[in-house]
Amino acid sequence: MIGQAIADGILTGAIIALGAIGISLSLQILRFANFGHGDILTLGAYSALTFTAVATAGVPIGPVSFGWQFLVAILIAAIVAGSAAILIDAIVYNRLRSRNAHRLTMIFASFGVALVLRNLVLLIWGPDVHYYSRELQIAVEILPNVRVMPDQIVVLGLTFAVVIFFYLVLRLTRIGMAMRAMAESPTLAGICGVEIRKMIRIAWFIAGALAAMAGTFLGLTVQLRPEMGFNLLLAVFAAAILGGSGSLFGAVIGGLLVGLAENLSVLVVPAGYKTAMPFLLLMLVLYIRPYGLFGTPERH
Amino acid sequence: MRNLLGLTLGTALAAAIMAPSAVYAQDAECPVKVGGILPLTGSMGAVGERIAESAQLAFEHINEGGGIKGCPVEFLLRDDQGQPTVGVDAAKFLVEVERVSALTGTVSSGVSLPILTSVTAPSEVVQITCCSTAATFTALAESGESGGYFFRTLPTVKTQAYASAKVASDRGYKRIAVIYVNTDFGTGMVEYFKTATAKLGGEIVAEAAFNENQPSYRAEVNVGLAANPDAVFFVAFPQDGATMTREWISLGGPQNFILNNALRSPDYVEAVGGQYLNNAYGMDNASAGGPTVDAFRDAFQAKYDASADGPGIATQYDAAMVIGLAMNIAPDLSGPAIRDSVRMIQDPDGTVVGTGPEEFAKAVALIKDGKPIRYVGATGPVIFDANGDVNGAALIWNIKDGELGVENTLTIEDMNALFTEIDG
Repeated sequence: MIGQAIADGILTGAIIALGAIGISLSLQILRFANFGHGDILTLGAYSALTFTAVATAGVPIGPVSFGWQFLVAILIAAIVAGSAAILIDAIVYNRLRSRNAHRLTMIFASFGVALVLRNLVLLIWGPDVHYYSRELQIAVEILPNVRVMPDQIVVLGLTFAVVIFFYLVLRLTRIGMAMRAMAESPTLAGICGVEIRKMIRIAWFIAGALAAMAGTFLGLTVQLRPEMGFNLLLAVFAAAILGGSGSLFGAVIGGLLVGLAENLSVLVVPAGYKTAMPFLLLMLVLYIRPYGLFGTPERH
Repeated sequence: MRNLLGLTLGTALAAAIMAPSAVYAQDAECPVKVGGILPLTGSMGAVGERIAESAQLAFEHINEGGGIKGCPVEFLLRDDQGQPTVGVDAAKFLVEVERVSALTGTVSSGVSLPILTSVTAPSEVVQITCCSTAATFTALAESGESGGYFFRTLPTVKTQAYASAKVASDRGYKRIAVIYVNTDFGTGMVEYFKTATAKLGGEIVAEAAFNENQPSYRAEVNVGLAANPDAVFFVAFPQDGATMTREWISLGGPQNFILNNALRSPDYVEAVGGQYLNNAYGMDNASAGGPTVDAFRDAFQAKYDASADGPGIATQYDAAMVIGLAMNIAPDLSGPAIRDSVRMIQDPDGTVVGTGPEEFAKAVALIKDGKPIRYVGATGPVIFDANGDVNGAALIWNIKDGELGVENTLTIEDMNALFTEIDG
């Protein structure tokens, strides 16, 4: 039972972590809490659905429920969601930023974006539940009493590959360096020749693309529904804040901790309370480290 | 001059408004006001509107059949929008301003309950609902808090829970896991299911309450699986139900499913995949047959050009008819008198009266002569127990090759026998 809970915690945590990286980026580089992030995730997941509806999810490779077509679908979803994020920034946030809108205004605007996106998804794909493939996957026992689905293992592997790739980009490329500079101080970065607007677009694209991946993974291992992203949003926020905003590994560890907290809690408290657990953990951590586990105290 | 004109206009308007009631004004109490609260808009609006039509049909029949104590009934219908605050406001208005003698409503248990506890029970006004099935109402009646003013014409979750437990025991399921929605409806259902299962020789080996609209129910499913059950009982609505059923199957749980009535939906079957559900069954309220049922269905069809098959339509008709009959029997139109008279519409030695205006006229004549009646309505005989609940026939449904079907029906007699077996 405990082994199963840990396995489930890591598997759901990985998906939450992908979402949390995007939130962390917008907190650090774009400097506001983006409540529209959950619905970008939904949009990404549904974009992949449109592709698989045409091309199918492919002939299953081995025990996995999808073929190479699904990997293309993930890529398309990432591009659609990333571009949508850039477009939304151009239409909404950029205008607000250029008029020096208050941070709270940005947050409320993101709520508006969230509602528009969700209703757009409803309008295009309808309110019904969708699946990439109707076939049910039967879990395999990888350890005694620990069952996971082959899809989940692939999802976990892909997640870590993406995180490591992103980490290398951030560490080793000029774009990565520029982004880190922006996170420190946009003004200083601007003075040093960083193209602020380009960097903002890149940050949005990465956040959107990672959200789309989280969305397709969630859709693959659970299901697609119009409110899937919004329902995940609070957990994603908890993960980003838990890890410390702006820290890539913080977001990943935060995501895993949130997943573990939810799944392990059912061993001791009734399952109805499990959604509260990440927030209890969050309060506990912030009480001791107000800047999150991996964040650094801000200097003023 | 201007003031005078306003005054004249106002008087004329007032006269115009008063005019219809003046026609019937033989008695100071005419017309008799009866309140209705139903969700006409909001998420249950589509269902609620049909139910309201049924209530209106019943009051038309009552008026054509002689009204109440010689007076026509004025049915005052208000919308609760499916929200407790709106519903309580409407009930307050009906009881305190309009001074209705009785009230019918509403659909959602979450709305009917605050109406009962904060308006109708304290004001001693009879409330009869067509559709609220929560177990809380029974508990309130047992503790005396509802004062006996609450009645319902729809079998409660108890009927469903007992019937489901009976079939589980017939199928030989000994160890059952329960995953249920964390609401009054879910907890009530599980409470009764547990009592019945224990009595019938089974055991609930794991239970997990869940909150609606979550992306995944793996944790809840694992709680159930950890106990190695023979079967699982899901109390859920189609979307969440499909999610957890798929996860249950994926994680290797036994494919023996007991499902609540809300899952009797093609959406659910399609989302899960029919091939996994061949061993699933569920319970639902069965519609009774008989001439009074047919008469109602024909009348509804003729009036609205729509089928009377939807949820709550037949039970709402009975709720309104019970009010009409009880008010005729009551010596006066005070709350306690009507409450006690509701018990007298079902006299075992009485003459059977059915649905429709002629039957109502027949009932009124019998009551005038001081003779007992026995009401057999749109849902069959309406027999309230001590807590104001009715029992009902149950049907057991199943899924074969992705199609919903009916396995068998438990008649009212079967159900009464089952109730006696479990409750002693």
